[in-house]
Amino acid sequence: MAYGVDNSLRIEDFCKNLRVEIISMNEEDIEFDIVGIDAAIANAFRRILIAEVPTMAIEKVYIANNTSVIQDEVLAHRLGLLPIKADPRLFDYKSEEENANEKNTIVFKIDVVCTRKGERVLNSSVTSDQMKWLPEGSEMPFNTMTKFTSFGSSQKNLPGLPAEGISCQYPDIIVAKLRPGQAIELEGHAIKGSGNIHAKWSPVATARYRMLPEVNLMEDIQGKLAEELVQKCPTGVFDIEDVGTVKKAIVARPRNCTLCRECVRGTDWDKRVQLTRVKDHFIFTIESTGALRPEVLFTEAIKILNEKCHRIITELS
Amino acid sequence: MKVMNAATFTVEREDHTVGNVIRMQLHRDPSVLFAGYRLPHPLQYRLVVKIQTTSQSSPMQAYNLAITDLIKELDHLKAVFEHETSQKQADYY
Repeated sequence: MAYGVDNSLRIEDFCKNLRVEIISMNEEDIEFDIVGIDAAIANAFRRILIAEVPTMAIEKVYIANNTSVIQDEVLAHRLGLLPIKADPRLFDYKSEEENANEKNTIVFKIDVVCTRKGERVLNSSVTSDQMKWLPEGSEMPFNTMTKFTSFGSSQKNLPGLPAEGISCQYPDIIVAKLRPGQAIELEGHAIKGSGNIHAKWSPVATARYRMLPEVNLMEDIQGKLAEELVQKCPTGVFDIEDVGTVKKAIVARPRNCTLCRECVRGTDWDKRVQLTRVKDHFIFTIESTGALRPEVLFTEAIKILNEKCHRIITELS
Repeated sequence: MKVMNAATFTVEREDHTVGNVIRMQLHRDPSVLFAGYRLPHPLQYRLVVKIQTTSQSSPMQAYNLAITDLIKELDHLKAVFEHETSQKQADYY
């Protein structure tokens, strides 16, 4: 191949210039910097995180009894949007014609009746922790012989499952409100899907990136002007440095800059301060809804982009 | 009028996510004279990539090279990211 040498140099350059630095990381969010990639790849990751990393969400709702004020379809819509704490990599996709089995479906049940006990009303709101996981499969009969799902074995023994089993990520989400005498009895079947079909399957609350702002002082700013500059910036980008007897302004924290352009307002300020962005420094923030940890989400996004590349490579014919 | 060393690739079931990345990779190749992508219709899920190269290489070669390089770069990025996250988790415990 004509360009073998050139391209291995290019890859080496990329590997040398690439830098990843994690600023903060916890169960729900991660903020990290990537230096040395191009805007096209950063955007590709953002798009994949929002729309192509799969998750589990309730798709089919079988309602046995709903005497509440919430309509069936509204209730089903709300159930679909609940974030389910299940690792989607343990499950397979399910198509319409396939049977629901333990490898592609998670079954949940809600069975709540609102009653009056003397003065108090019990179960006046149905919360997401009242949605119980059924590891043995559906309990609703499809006909006299079969149920709606055909589980070969219990899902309790699925390897990789957390000890507490599968549940909704947040236990206090209100699904419906009831008054005494009203009841809701339904089963929800969750399947694997990706965000490009419906937003309920998106694994991130949001995934965003911004480029690192670059603030340059074109000339020495001293004395009163320096103090004025430090006051003007609402996020504290500038600082005063005492050089001998003279107070000089320096750019202390360009990362905090939101490019609000307050520092270039006023006469002559735009000649003194220059605001641009560093072309290859991206600050990613990923907020997960809970199915997968945010750093796992980013690794999955890289794997998905990798798979896409393998799929589009052409065979020389 | 036939143009030498130019080709149009149609990729099904792909959109801007991959299209922009391939276009960027192709631009970094010195033997590529022209590289561009478009989605002919927003309701149809397909991509058209147009490449023209110098006579030293062919569009097919340029396309395959761009994708193989991209795969290598992504592997490296994944390794670096996983190293950083495991270090950060080790810092916590």
